[in-house]
Amino acid sequence: MLEPAPSPPPVSPVFHARGLRKVYHTGEVDVVALRDVDLDFNSSELVVLLGASGSGKSTLLNILGGLDVPTAGSLSYRGWDLTDADESTLTLFRRNCVGFVFQFYNLIPSLTARENVALITDIARDPMTPEEALEMVGLTARRDHFPSQLSGGEQQRVAIARAIAKRPEVLLCDEPTGALDITTGITVLEAVERINRELGTLTVIITHNAAMAEMADRVLHLSDGQIVKSRTNATRQPASSLEW
Amino acid sequence: MIISPLDRKLLRDLARLKGQMLAVSVVMACGLAMMICTRSLIHTLESTRDAYYEKHRMADVFGSLKRAPLAVAERLADIPGVATVEPRVVVDVTLDLPGLAEPATGHLVSLPEDGPQRLNQIFLRKGRMPRLDERREVVASEAFAEANHFEPGDQVVAVINGRRDTLVISGIGLSPEFVFEARSGETLPDNKRYGVFWMNYRAVAMAYNMDGAFNDFCADLAPGAHPGPVLIEMDRLLQNYGALGAITRTDQASARRLDDELNVLHALAVAYPVVFLSVAAFMVNAVLSRLVRLQREQIAQLKALGYASWQVGFHYLKFALVIVVLGTALGSVAGAMMSQMLVKLYTIFFRFPSLRVLLDYQSLVWALLVSAGASTLGVLSVVRAAVKLPPAEAMRPEPPADFKPSFLERKGLTKAFSPSFRMALRNIERRPLQALFTIFGLSLATALMILPGAMADSIDYLLTYQWNDVQRQDVVAFLTEPGSPSAFHDLEHLPGVTSAEPIRRVQARFSFGNHSRRLGVTGMPPTANLNRLLDAKGQAIPMPENGILMSAKLAEILGAKLDDEVLVSVLEGRRPERLLPIRGLLEDFSGVAAYMDISALRRLMQEGDTINGAYLTVDQTKWESFMQKVKSTPRSSVIFVKKEQLAAFRKTTGQSIGILRSLYLTLAVIVAFGVVYNSARIALSERTRDLATLRVVGFSQREVGAVLLGELSLLVVSALPVGFLLGQLLTTGIFHSLSTETIRLPLRITLTTYLTAMGVVLGATAASFWAVSRLLKKLDLVGVLKARD
Repeated sequence: MLEPAPSPPPVSPVFHARGLRKVYHTGEVDVVALRDVDLDFNSSELVVLLGASGSGKSTLLNILGGLDVPTAGSLSYRGWDLTDADESTLTLFRRNCVGFVFQFYNLIPSLTARENVALITDIARDPMTPEEALEMVGLTARRDHFPSQLSGGEQQRVAIARAIAKRPEVLLCDEPTGALDITTGITVLEAVERINRELGTLTVIITHNAAMAEMADRVLHLSDGQIVKSRTNATRQPASSLEW
Repeated sequence: MIISPLDRKLLRDLARLKGQMLAVSVVMACGLAMMICTRSLIHTLESTRDAYYEKHRMADVFGSLKRAPLAVAERLADIPGVATVEPRVVVDVTLDLPGLAEPATGHLVSLPEDGPQRLNQIFLRKGRMPRLDERREVVASEAFAEANHFEPGDQVVAVINGRRDTLVISGIGLSPEFVFEARSGETLPDNKRYGVFWMNYRAVAMAYNMDGAFNDFCADLAPGAHPGPVLIEMDRLLQNYGALGAITRTDQASARRLDDELNVLHALAVAYPVVFLSVAAFMVNAVLSRLVRLQREQIAQLKALGYASWQVGFHYLKFALVIVVLGTALGSVAGAMMSQMLVKLYTIFFRFPSLRVLLDYQSLVWALLVSAGASTLGVLSVVRAAVKLPPAEAMRPEPPADFKPSFLERKGLTKAFSPSFRMALRNIERRPLQALFTIFGLSLATALMILPGAMADSIDYLLTYQWNDVQRQDVVAFLTEPGSPSAFHDLEHLPGVTSAEPIRRVQARFSFGNHSRRLGVTGMPPTANLNRLLDAKGQAIPMPENGILMSAKLAEILGAKLDDEVLVSVLEGRRPERLLPIRGLLEDFSGVAAYMDISALRRLMQEGDTINGAYLTVDQTKWESFMQKVKSTPRSSVIFVKKEQLAAFRKTTGQSIGILRSLYLTLAVIVAFGVVYNSARIALSERTRDLATLRVVGFSQREVGAVLLGELSLLVVSALPVGFLLGQLLTTGIFHSLSTETIRLPLRITLTTYLTAMGVVLGATAASFWAVSRLLKKLDLVGVLKARD
């Protein structure tokens, strides 16, 4: 069994990265996915990362979420150094601090919505109940359905409920509406927005879709592995008003 | 050489799947190796036997009698259908071998003096044939000479018709008549204490007052002659000369023993490989169905590009064919090596001028066809389903798999189950056929483990049963000639004898319906307690006043059952015939026997208290002097010493079963590992996405491993009892086919055998889990989760 992670000291910012660099060695070619990225993400912030395919946004998200480690540079989470963390530290970090949502919902098909959420509430340190999590994404009525009985939007909302059930400080979403039509996509974004607002979760969304930038506190543009532009929105637009 | 893109894909996919491909091929190879090995052994034994019989002119007919003048042999030769008759004198003598406390037996066979042997010709390994004018020269059988380290020029002391004499070994040889060389009625060779000697006719005949006469003959039939009428005529002609009935080669002891062995091999050549090949076919099916499922989109792409369904189908069939070719290649090499190893076992039992493995090339072709057939059957449905799908449909991602609460959950029995256990239950229930196949494969692996264990259990039981429960005597002593009550008195009073029970044994023909068998019927007192007659439950059967007790196997051969009356035609003395009811069936494990009350037998023979020998128990402190005395007693010729028989048994059957056992064990372990590893790999690849998800949400590697292996563990646990049952069935089937007139194995499976089988399967499971969890560590979390289903 894994021991509970040491409680990170409550210091801002949530993420503090300096000179982050990631190089993939594919055969004889080195592909530089991130080039010396510096960033700070704060609590309760909703950040949208925009960029074309191959711009490095997914790599950045994976490193932030403990799915990957940087080749160089430093990264800390609440002062907890993740730069050279080993596998079991990263497992603890993911288990207790981060929630993920992917484009493809990645639900376990053999478990119902509630059970998919229970997967994480069973192992997390201070989770909400699966019912609460599903209520937050508006799926109370569908909680005993299997993934095959849910629409794409509903499946993605279950994925969000599963991600936030542990009350993570960070919610990382990789193209959460990529596989959905606009109406369903907006429902999903509303769920994300509500969580960010009500739980104060630092939320990072990566997307191709520039329209989503309007719902963010901050928008970062990535290109060729670097942050080329950063913009702060004076006011966030509600997800329901977005159009694309 | 230009390789088509599809074949390149095949090669690369194969390289990626090498672990599983190898696992399936190895399991297939095990079955094929068994098949090739047994088929080659059959081919080797049959060809060697046929060539030996032909070259050294194995006789077609054998017969023995009390005594007849040589002129009668000429009349035998005149019987229509008879080509050659060779009369001879055959006697058993006691040998006094240096360093051997108990007496050994020499089976003396006379050599014609008017020319070389015409039938059953000796193959001379060393030295030379006896000189015509040499009274004491003999050719000794090779097995006996080897066991006692005799070389040409060595001498052997024998008690010939009551007189001690020294025989000089002029040569060492073997004969097609004694490929299996053992005392009459014995099922195992004891080459140290029993040997065949060929000696000049005059030398034997003179010693036994047989000059100008014979007591044994062998004959060759003219081409196309039917033996039936010839035998009847021979028996009629020899009726007044104490004939024991002529027999054909099929009934001759050595030839029958060899045939029995071949029957066993024939049975093994089918039963065992079938089990292995079925497992392999299931494995091929499992691997390829998964592959096809994973390559659903690729199949659609190929079809969209214009490949015909048959081209795509054939591409996937090639995976199976590669496994088959690899399996056949591995199986052939292993089979050839196994035959080389096992053929040595046969030299313990059977003596040929040379026994070299002749590979059965036909069986290689069969192996290829059988395994290709099994695998094609295994993948046909999968491939058909894959190519039937319209490309557009196949290119769309598969919808999430359809699940529902498992049966146990619907019954409300699983409230406390963890999500991972529910996943396991629902996965099994969603693909019940796949789960059943896995259970079946695993249970066959378990079953294969039961067989070698059961072999050892049965041998142990046999030894305890035969040597403790049945044979309570230390020694069985037989007289050279039937003796009077004084002979029994002499045996009873040998030094150290603590108890003695008389034996009267006469040769008789047992007939029932169309079946008949010649064997000795043994008379024992109803109070006899040394050689106990036990039924299938191990209970002693009381000796009936009227009627006979016989081996259950004999009743089976005759087609008779309890209380049926069989016709007993005695072949000695006044040759009485009597219908006698079967009053009990004996559970015995080697040869066949029949018993009756000694007084009833004597009444039948119209004789007094005649005996042929006695069962004796001997005070072990006086063993030396007992043996010394027996050796110098002229009238006792055959002595069976229980502990020596036990040692011989351990050396021969024990050794050969030991080797077979390790072989089966090795194969079973390979199958167990192969099946579990394959299932674990399939589970891993089918569940990669689920497992990656779990890792991402924060499950540790060990926790994810537990989820993956939970389902497989459930299957392993369900497979064990099924495997025990299948193992019992398989063992029963194989033992049944091993059950011959010569030897039978009692079916006994101990708890240890079941536990060992379980241990090996669980061990293989643990090893496979370990191998698979190493792969789990390399799981590309991000790659998997970002890929579309």
